[in-house]
Amino acid sequence: MSVLARQIAPSARLLTPVTTAPACLLPRHFSVLNRPQPNYPGHIPLTFIERGALAVGSAVGSLINPRRGDLIATLGEATATPYFIYRLRDAMLSDATGRRILRDRPRITSSTMPLPYLRSLPENSVGRTYAAWLDREGVSPDTRSQVQYIDNEECAYVMQRYRECHDFYHAVTGLPIFVEGELALKAFEFLNTLIPMTGLSLFAMVRLKPAERERFFSLHLPWAVRSGLASKELINVYWEEVLEKNVDELRRELNIEAPPDLREIRRMIRRQQKEEKQRMGQQTA
Amino acid sequence: MSASRSALRPYVCSSCRHGVLAPRRRFSSKPAQNPEIYDVVCVGGGPAGLGLLAALRASPVTSKLKVALVESQDLDKARSWDLPTHEFSNRVSSLTPSSVAFLRRIGALELLDTDRVQDYQQMQVWDGETGSKISFDWAEETSPFEDPRTVATMTENANLVRALLSRIEASGDENLKIFSKTTVSSIENGSDHPDGPDLSAWPVLTVAPSEASPASTSEPPVRIAARLLVGADGINSPVRSFADIATEGWDYNRHGVVATLALSDSEAPTFPAGMRTAFQRFLPALGGPIALLPLPNNHATLVWSTTPEHAAYLKSLPPNAFISMVNAAFRLSMTDLKYMMKMKRVGEEEEVNQHDAELTWRLQHTPQPNHIPPMVTGVQERSVASFPLRFRHASTYISPRVALIGDAAHVIHPLAGQGLNLGLGDVASLSNTIEYAVTHGMDVGDLLSLERYSTERWGANAKVGGVCDLLHKLYNVPGQGPVAWGRSLGLNVIDRLPFVKGFLMRQAEGGA
Repeated sequence: MSVLARQIAPSARLLTPVTTAPACLLPRHFSVLNRPQPNYPGHIPLTFIERGALAVGSAVGSLINPRRGDLIATLGEATATPYFIYRLRDAMLSDATGRRILRDRPRITSSTMPLPYLRSLPENSVGRTYAAWLDREGVSPDTRSQVQYIDNEECAYVMQRYRECHDFYHAVTGLPIFVEGELALKAFEFLNTLIPMTGLSLFAMVRLKPAERERFFSLHLPWAVRSGLASKELINVYWEEVLEKNVDELRRELNIEAPPDLREIRRMIRRQQKEEKQRMGQQTA
Repeated sequence: MSASRSALRPYVCSSCRHGVLAPRRRFSSKPAQNPEIYDVVCVGGGPAGLGLLAALRASPVTSKLKVALVESQDLDKARSWDLPTHEFSNRVSSLTPSSVAFLRRIGALELLDTDRVQDYQQMQVWDGETGSKISFDWAEETSPFEDPRTVATMTENANLVRALLSRIEASGDENLKIFSKTTVSSIENGSDHPDGPDLSAWPVLTVAPSEASPASTSEPPVRIAARLLVGADGINSPVRSFADIATEGWDYNRHGVVATLALSDSEAPTFPAGMRTAFQRFLPALGGPIALLPLPNNHATLVWSTTPEHAAYLKSLPPNAFISMVNAAFRLSMTDLKYMMKMKRVGEEEEVNQHDAELTWRLQHTPQPNHIPPMVTGVQERSVASFPLRFRHASTYISPRVALIGDAAHVIHPLAGQGLNLGLGDVASLSNTIEYAVTHGMDVGDLLSLERYSTERWGANAKVGGVCDLLHKLYNVPGQGPVAWGRSLGLNVIDRLPFVKGFLMRQAEGGA
């Protein structure tokens, strides 16, 4: 177990060559020595123990360093089965738009979502808001890694879709990517998608400063619970088709309230602190 | 013949000797005072009623009893019923081996059109929610060198009715009167005739030609008295109301959708050759099981128990979409099926493609077990219909001079295909009871004679009906909760225990 954890957890990417499993062998029980063929390109079949080790390892790793997006993604995949990812897929299959997404399998990359086009959209449209958010946070849609540990190829796509849409959730809610904003969004997503990783991410709360934690509990958690439970399944939004829609209208349709703007709050607090400091300086002078 | 019967002989003969002329004569001379007396009057000419008549006529002991049958439908139509070989009626029943044995005993089996009858040797039943399955066949009990043993026999009800009618006709028309296209307008207790028999405790029926028939004006109502009145008159039995027998039960709020389907040729040849299989998949999210039961020439009959809304939706679909839905119901997940049941029917063309497109797409992403039926390729025109599913059980089957058989006594959920078999079981038991009463010089209508029938059948029918009801409830719990887990565990365990499975199959086989 410890050996496995050491092998797998630090860098999941190292495992990729394992997919070339010997196919000539007679059908044998699935073990570390006899890995079945991948179900889709990039798929890495895992045994139960491997999956568990991967979940624990990636959980610990991502708690130590929350900037390790790959570990968070791995944690998401390792804990999505059983049940949760199937539930999310069934939620998509129960909805006309969700079915269309599963059938078309659109991918969100900088080539399918050209930023110049998004920036040219009218003010307050979903696409423009998304582009503005990407610019503000300095991220790109291409930073999302491939799903590799989910056995069902359709569920793997659902996970991929969730991952790629995550930035749209950020954009629509306006939450930033630093830990506080990320936590608020993860809480919201957990109640909306029920993906266990989003719930587990809330353990990162231990990393918040006391003031931030207090703000999280009084401001963002209540928002996340309210909106997460009241809103429609966000996975069923065909983002490629609503780019030109008014973002307020979309929020109303999905039944999401806009959360308090974290960057604004931070700026305000910083200004207050500065003023306080100046006043203190004046007094001492 | 019994003592009481010989004492009444003069009165019986005065009216029966003159055959058809009797009613008119009596009407003109003495207005309907003395009803004609029959030993057994059976109300209802369905499989149960006709089966009873055929059974009584087939036994040498009871063949001389004076019997009458009252049926509101036109039995001439049933007699001349005929369909081209590639068409099948949508009212089809499965006969268990013991029902088949009974039909053979009364000589009706050889009168069945065997080209329209299909045996099957295997049955696959599985849970659409969890995928756990059970298969029924007699492979455990037969050697590999024998032909596989039949699990059940599919026959159209019309074919069975026609065979029973010809069996009854073959027995001659002595002491037999069939009132076709005739309804029972009243049943009451007779009166004590001063110059005749005391019929005050006997049921006396007034029968008149059905309003629909053109002869209604010409033929006057006829009164007949019954030593034993048998109610084979269905769920709303007038005989049962006359006897004041309470009935318990409930409506399932489900409809059974039936249809006659054509199947594609299966790629894999069956082993042994000619082996046919029946398929049943439980669809907890849609309210009941879907079953595909084999008919000759690669046809099959469908019975799909589902909610009235779904049934109405299915019936409103054009043929291509209906076929896609049936194929989907044996293959796709509950989520897909629930979605497809709500798909809008935009226009004929568009909609046909829609259901089929959904099915084709979802099949690529749904792993299939290896026990699914062949693809349905066609649905017979005007064969899609539905009927409400109900549970009824009469508190008793007998009352002085009255006995209930078939649907008049019990109506059960069709998921095990046992309804008609229970009815034929009643018929076998009641005819034996009558035979016993006749050989021992007892009055066939006496409660003491009938007790035997009630004892034999009430408990047996209650058991089968209760099991079907339990299965219905168990397989109506949607989702992957503890109930689904429990029923799947149970099914898998039974599937792996040949003794338990053999016991259950023998119960189902002898359930009739």
